Amino acid sequence: MSIKKFLSTSLALTGLLLAFVLLFGLPKLAGRAEAPAAPAVAPQNVGVDNETCLACHGLPDQQITLPSGEILYLTVDREIYNNSVHGKNGYACVQCHTTLTSYPHPPLAAYTRRDATLNLYQSCGRCHYQHYDRALDSVHQKALATGNRQAAVCTDCHGAHNVRPPNEPRSHIPQTCQLCHSEIYKRYEESVHGSALLGEGNPDVPSCIDCHGVHDVEGPSDSQFHLFSPQICAKCHANDELMAKYGISTDVFETYVADFHGTTVVLFEKTTPDQETNKPVCIDCHGVHDMREVDDPESTVIKENLLQTCQKCHPDATLHFPEAWIAHYQPAPDNHPVVYYVNLFYSIFIPTLLGGMGLFVVTDAGRRLYSRLKERQHG
Amino acid sequence: MAENINLTVPQESSPNASAENKGKKYLRWDLAKRIEHWIFMLSFTALGLTGLVQKYAEAPLSISIVAGLGGIENTRTIHHWAATIMMLVTIYHLGAVAYRMYVRRVRLTMLPTMEDIRAAIQSMGYNLGLLKHSAQQGRYTFEEKLEYWAVVWGTIVMAVTGYMMWNPIATARFLPGEFIPAAKAAHGGEALLAVLSIALWHLYHVIVKHFNRSMFTGYLSEEEMLHEHPLELADIKAGIANRPIDPEAYKRRMRIFVPSYSVIAVALLVGVYFFVNYEETAITTVPPAEQVVVFAPLTPTPLPSPVPTRTSPPGGLASWQGGIGDLLNQRCGICHNSTGKLGGLDLTSYQAALETGSSGPAVIPGDPDNSPLIVKQAQGGHPEQLSEELLDQLRDWIANGAPES
Repeated sequence: MSIKKFLSTSLALTGLLLAFVLLFGLPKLAGRAEAPAAPAVAPQNVGVDNETCLACHGLPDQQITLPSGEILYLTVDREIYNNSVHGKNGYACVQCHTTLTSYPHPPLAAYTRRDATLNLYQSCGRCHYQHYDRALDSVHQKALATGNRQAAVCTDCHGAHNVRPPNEPRSHIPQTCQLCHSEIYKRYEESVHGSALLGEGNPDVPSCIDCHGVHDVEGPSDSQFHLFSPQICAKCHANDELMAKYGISTDVFETYVADFHGTTVVLFEKTTPDQETNKPVCIDCHGVHDMREVDDPESTVIKENLLQTCQKCHPDATLHFPEAWIAHYQPAPDNHPVVYYVNLFYSIFIPTLLGGMGLFVVTDAGRRLYSRLKERQHG
Repeated sequence: MAENINLTVPQESSPNASAENKGKKYLRWDLAKRIEHWIFMLSFTALGLTGLVQKYAEAPLSISIVAGLGGIENTRTIHHWAATIMMLVTIYHLGAVAYRMYVRRVRLTMLPTMEDIRAAIQSMGYNLGLLKHSAQQGRYTFEEKLEYWAVVWGTIVMAVTGYMMWNPIATARFLPGEFIPAAKAAHGGEALLAVLSIALWHLYHVIVKHFNRSMFTGYLSEEEMLHEHPLELADIKAGIANRPIDPEAYKRRMRIFVPSYSVIAVALLVGVYFFVNYEETAITTVPPAEQVVVFAPLTPTPLPSPVPTRTSPPGGLASWQGGIGDLLNQRCGICHNSTGKLGGLDLTSYQAALETGSSGPAVIPGDPDNSPLIVKQAQGGHPEQLSEELLDQLRDWIANGAPES
């Protein structure tokens, strides 16, 4: 094999490999909501029963003063614990409080109440290591790692002695996130999704975790989250069965991708997912947590408000500019007729002209071949 | 024309004629035209490639090509540069055509005529075996004219619709906004038509049917001329293909042509400059989709207020009932009570304090230094650790005989 041939072959192979990686290797959005996983393993119960602990910790007003001056309350309500998922299943205090199996207890290495929480939540990983591991990749854990001690850990969302199934009822999910994200909750509460979940207990609309993930909550300000977010919306909005219940078109995703903005975003996703595009995704026009129904006067995308929405990115846009957006509908004679008729024209013109040309080319080639064969016979 | 065919063909195709003229070449494309063709061809190819991958953005091949070009923004930049080059070639072409028409007064051999329709019908009839002879054509065959005028039409459509997409805000000031997606539809449709017809029609005629080298060399052979452009060949031989120009007339016409075309060309160049640079359609960075305080914790449920810690009354704790009992009950009674009796010790009653404890009775009246209560606390580190002040008061109480009241 000559060097030149070798080079061109390896170049072609590299190209193929590159294409393969681009096609299949790019980050795909994982399914977001997780199935509740029972702990794979429970730690050994070392034989200190809960009544031993409750002999002291069941008494009211148990407390110690921490070096910071804060008071750490040590009373555990027997009733609340027994009604928790752990209490119901007979887990022992010392299965989480593993260092407190004898008395006197070892000294508490906590300067503040938050220290105590940040030390203790790590016990959760002993049984729930799958969820714990995922949480290690979350935006909360990253914030914690950079020194933000307010970042949520297991017990901030799930509670400690009062752990309940987190989605019973489902409205409990946004109410949990609200503990830290109350401003976002206010917007969500007013949105078409939030009002349906919180108001009617609608099982179809997304709660926080359906878009953001559960334990491995992504940082939504990462450019990748922005870029790939249309696929989150498409999970429901491209689902025919689900959308049929509400009379919502499932063309929204396809029409978005067919348009300039969507085409660009799709190509960014597939070729340069690490770069940020200046083309909008669903939430840039519809709103993030406060998306409204399309006939809500406060919707950002109804005709009256659309120009203002366009101007967020196109500051010079004028009155007729928003008509350039064909609004998630396929062009039809009564909707964007100019586009419809242009498409119709080319769908007739292209095959007609090319058909004519093709006919001529084929007959011309045939006649030439025939003449050549005939010449050969005679010659 | 029909007469011409019968006259010219037998003569020119006789073996003698071709032997005489063997090796004779006829200039078809001068260097300027060849350069023009190749620049146009390159920009056309770049436009077709970078455009169709956008039209069919979801096709795996398109994605690979866009990735190979360094992403969609790069692809668009290449598309815009190629478009600009094509516009410049077009401005040059307009000048070259005007020069040939006005200054050189050449015959307008590219204009379509009824003859072309007849030639097309005749060629088709010949191809189908209905006629014995194919059409005899001149400098530009009907196939070439179709190609040329399709490019003219296509360039106009692409430039107009391209302008509208490049400058959508300016467009929407004068036209309904709907024209912008319509321009996109037309741009895509016309692009597909142009690329497919070049591939099918042009490439068949210049490569597949017969490899025509004239766009490389500039020349056609006698035989090629005879096959493809017999009427032009006849005109050349008759000396009427290129009319000579009177030098005076040439100078006079150039004095008009040069300034006129210069003005037009400058105007067109300014037009192209505005086409390319006029509008800043969108800001380069999308503003954050939402402005909201992310971390806004709810006010937490108030914690129970701390139980006040007993402080010693002025003058110290004198007896079990005078405060010592309450102190030990409150601080030690959690563990050391009558039921739990941790360490065998019960500190909830006076009697028990004097009697219980695994290291002997906790309180030995009169001997604080040997009372286990004081010994344990003085070591420090007890889960409930009394302050030095309280410990001193306990010492005093025991030293005084640990009175009950």
